[in-house]
Amino acid sequence: MTETMSQGTTSRGRAAVIRTELKLEDEAFLTDDFLRQLINVGEVDILVGLPTHNNAKTIGSIVHTIRSGILQAFPRERVVIIDADGGSRDGTPELVTGISIDDVRPASNLYALRTLHSISTKYASSPASGVALRTILAAAELLRAKACIVMSPESANIESEWLSKLLRPIYRDGFDLVTPTYRRHKFEGLLMTNLLYPMIRALYGVRIREAYTPEFGFSSRLGSQFLGQNNWNDGTGGAGVELRFTLAAITGGYRICQSFLGEKDRVERHAADLVPALRQTVGTLFSALEPDFPVWSAVAGSQPVPTVGSEQEVLLEPMRINRKRLREMFSTGVAELESVFQSILSPSTLTELQRIARPGEEFHYSAELWVRTAYEFAASYQKSVISRDHIIQALAPLFRGRAFTFLMENRNGSANDVENSIESLCLEFERLKPYLLEMWK
Amino acid sequence: MPLNKDALWYKDAIIYQVHVRTFYDSNGDGIGDFQGLEQKLDYLQELGINAIWLMPFFPSPLRDDGYDIADYTAVHSSYGTLEDFRKLLDSAHERGIRVIIEMVLNHTSDQHPWFQEARSSRDNPRRDWYVWSDTEARYQGARIIFLDTETSNWAWDPISKSYYWHRFFSHQPDLNYDSPAVREQMWNVMRFWLEMGVDAFRLDAVPYLVEREGTNCENLPETHNILKELRRKVDGQFPGRMLLAEANQWPADLRPYFGDEDEFHMAFHFPLMPRMFMGLKLEDRKPITEILQQTPEIPPSCQWSLFLRNHDELTLEMVTDMERDYMYDMYAESKTMRLNLGIRRRLASLLNNDRRRIELMNGMLMSLPGTPIIYYGDEIGMGDNISLGDRNGVRTPMQWSGGWNSGFSLAEPERLYAPLIQDPVYGYPAVNVLSQRESEHSLFRWMQRIIAVRRSTGVFGRGAIEFLYPANHRILAYLRRLGKETALVVNNLSNSAQAVELDLRRYKGNILIEMFGNNIFPRVGDLPYLLTMGPYQFYWFRLRRV
Repeated sequence: MTETMSQGTTSRGRAAVIRTELKLEDEAFLTDDFLRQLINVGEVDILVGLPTHNNAKTIGSIVHTIRSGILQAFPRERVVIIDADGGSRDGTPELVTGISIDDVRPASNLYALRTLHSISTKYASSPASGVALRTILAAAELLRAKACIVMSPESANIESEWLSKLLRPIYRDGFDLVTPTYRRHKFEGLLMTNLLYPMIRALYGVRIREAYTPEFGFSSRLGSQFLGQNNWNDGTGGAGVELRFTLAAITGGYRICQSFLGEKDRVERHAADLVPALRQTVGTLFSALEPDFPVWSAVAGSQPVPTVGSEQEVLLEPMRINRKRLREMFSTGVAELESVFQSILSPSTLTELQRIARPGEEFHYSAELWVRTAYEFAASYQKSVISRDHIIQALAPLFRGRAFTFLMENRNGSANDVENSIESLCLEFERLKPYLLEMWK
Repeated sequence: MPLNKDALWYKDAIIYQVHVRTFYDSNGDGIGDFQGLEQKLDYLQELGINAIWLMPFFPSPLRDDGYDIADYTAVHSSYGTLEDFRKLLDSAHERGIRVIIEMVLNHTSDQHPWFQEARSSRDNPRRDWYVWSDTEARYQGARIIFLDTETSNWAWDPISKSYYWHRFFSHQPDLNYDSPAVREQMWNVMRFWLEMGVDAFRLDAVPYLVEREGTNCENLPETHNILKELRRKVDGQFPGRMLLAEANQWPADLRPYFGDEDEFHMAFHFPLMPRMFMGLKLEDRKPITEILQQTPEIPPSCQWSLFLRNHDELTLEMVTDMERDYMYDMYAESKTMRLNLGIRRRLASLLNNDRRRIELMNGMLMSLPGTPIIYYGDEIGMGDNISLGDRNGVRTPMQWSGGWNSGFSLAEPERLYAPLIQDPVYGYPAVNVLSQRESEHSLFRWMQRIIAVRRSTGVFGRGAIEFLYPANHRILAYLRRLGKETALVVNNLSNSAQAVELDLRRYKGNILIEMFGNNIFPRVGDLPYLLTMGPYQFYWFRLRRV
């Protein structure tokens, strides 16, 4: 059980003041129609938020599963499902609102003790996870929801138990943030296992396996604090807001736990997806490091967080990955982006990367080299040595190189081998943290 | 005030349920009696009720509070004489108050001479007045009702060495309605009281009159035939009298008890009552509207009988397991408050003595379709004593004043039939008629007002209902309509203030007149009619086109 955070008390006091000042602005972005719906819903115990945009293919079964999960685990609680929609044209909002249960629309084959509201609002701007989350947080605050979750509108393998697993630690046990853990293939989520998890763990001192996830649960006090303090108009459209939310929970000293949900559906990824993913995750993390410096610079080592169920389960069946292409993209990137890397990386790191990029060399992107790379990127990002977006883009070929090494090292590895490999990397990030601090100064 | 001659008088009635024993002791023996009740008729008239329902007052060993009758055509000596009852009847009628008495058709006491004869030998002429068997294997489809005390519907009779059938306590053998002699005898009993002048019977436990193998022995066609025959006789010989069914059943199973206006005039709506409490606790109208949606239409001359509490436990037979668990957790946190499938508590203590909730529940009782029944003492917010066994905790002496024995009796306190409520919140020094009469804002005075408003119009007793279903589920809103008269009822089931928009467009141009203060509210227009309501507040409006 990790209860390491304590510095949130005073900042929360300030947050209350800030909330008062921001309140009108916060609520003004909600439409009148949505406010009318919220008035009709009234105070709730649990709020389920769905950020949607043209999810008609998946949302139907997801909301039915959510409803089942709620009726099973929280039959007595006042619950609302809120769809924050980015302008769907495929009938997504209607599919969500259609699962309401009330005295006009009884549910067949389901028994509900009380009314279950499922409402929808379309926000004015183009689809953006930040606006959707802000809408959900504002609704949660207005309805005084005690426990909230955000669910992905694309989790095709969602199970009704997920609701309980994400909500119960908040509703019953007093946690403020519940992040999920999943059963994944050993080569799924490489960005998480090779960069985000170990780097967040080393810097912030908290071992959260999935700090960036489309499904998470949170308490009203965490939601309100984030609603009031997050900069919603930073021009990013809210990209990576879920990660900012997790980091806010860490830095605010909130109680965090993990909950094992089961198997995560595998998503086909393309090479072109990597840069946007890096922007949302690594870009968000690097951006947060500057304001969070007082917190993470004072942290040494790391602590586990309480976890309900397994911390991580690994699937081992064969998986087809074009490893050769990964190495090629690494080598090409190192060659083509040399001038960019000269601005970002230290000479010794760049030399080492160029060495392993050479054809004929036995390729091995070591953990130490990868950690130094990541930290030098973070420091360069802080100093804005070049455009910050270019820095993030430049990380893509190097991450592919690291991924290639991870795949090769664990090609025949067992679940334990993979876990040991990740743990070693984490320890390397922790060991070299002074290197980042030195560069930061 | 003469009795209303309208044959449908029961539709406009406000019924007050009282046990003679509990109300007022005129002779100082510690037990309430007919003369005592007669002396208190002025109080009931002041309250505004126009019918009383007397619980069983017949000779009885009182092992089930009089529902174990040992003689159907006499009165228990503790309560007085038959002549005392006659005088009570006449005095009530002089005040425009009708009298409803209990008739326990289904079973007798095992001390009744009929049963004593029947068990004396297998050849006795009255042997077949009861249901006998050499084995317990018969009628296995019938559920056991008193789960806390009984393990079988059969009891062994050591005298005649056979089993007898009982749906309730084992000391209450069921009569055998397949016997023509039993049917004839029970009609004779009813005729005895009707000739004396009683206005109505509350017929106890009517679903269980007949047993048939392979059934659950409830609501059988043969039972309905017997009840129809009784109704024919009542209508033929005593027009204007009324039969009220006690049948704790689901609405669809209750509907046949009205027949084609040829069986019961009235029946208790058992499933509604727990759902009113549930809706209040959930702050959600869904349980209430759903059960009323499931309630079938009844013939024009028939009427539901509504109640919040009565002499029994708050029955949870007609709810789902999930609902029952919820009700137990919300209203009976202590196991001692639970009895059979129910909760043995009074209205005020169920609602934590919260005046707003007590008023709201009474507001719904008085405005939903049916004839309301007020349980004695609930009009002043009496509490209960759960340390008393069975259902006796809700049958304690009426609290008339803060004086000796709460003004109920001049007897020594230890001679009272039951101890007085003495706790600081509900005890008679705090809760009594005398002090509440003195206060303009007491619950008693409020009950007087709501009864008067209810009786000022026929729309609540006789009107049709239409639910409005506003989007705010905490608001229960309905229209009651009778002829040209329309009333709008809006109830806030929530502990917090609520805004609600009502779709009243078809009443565009009407103004709303709040029925308690006769104040005018804004005219209905094209837009949704916006009301803001305080916690647990309710409105009754008369719609009037000006």
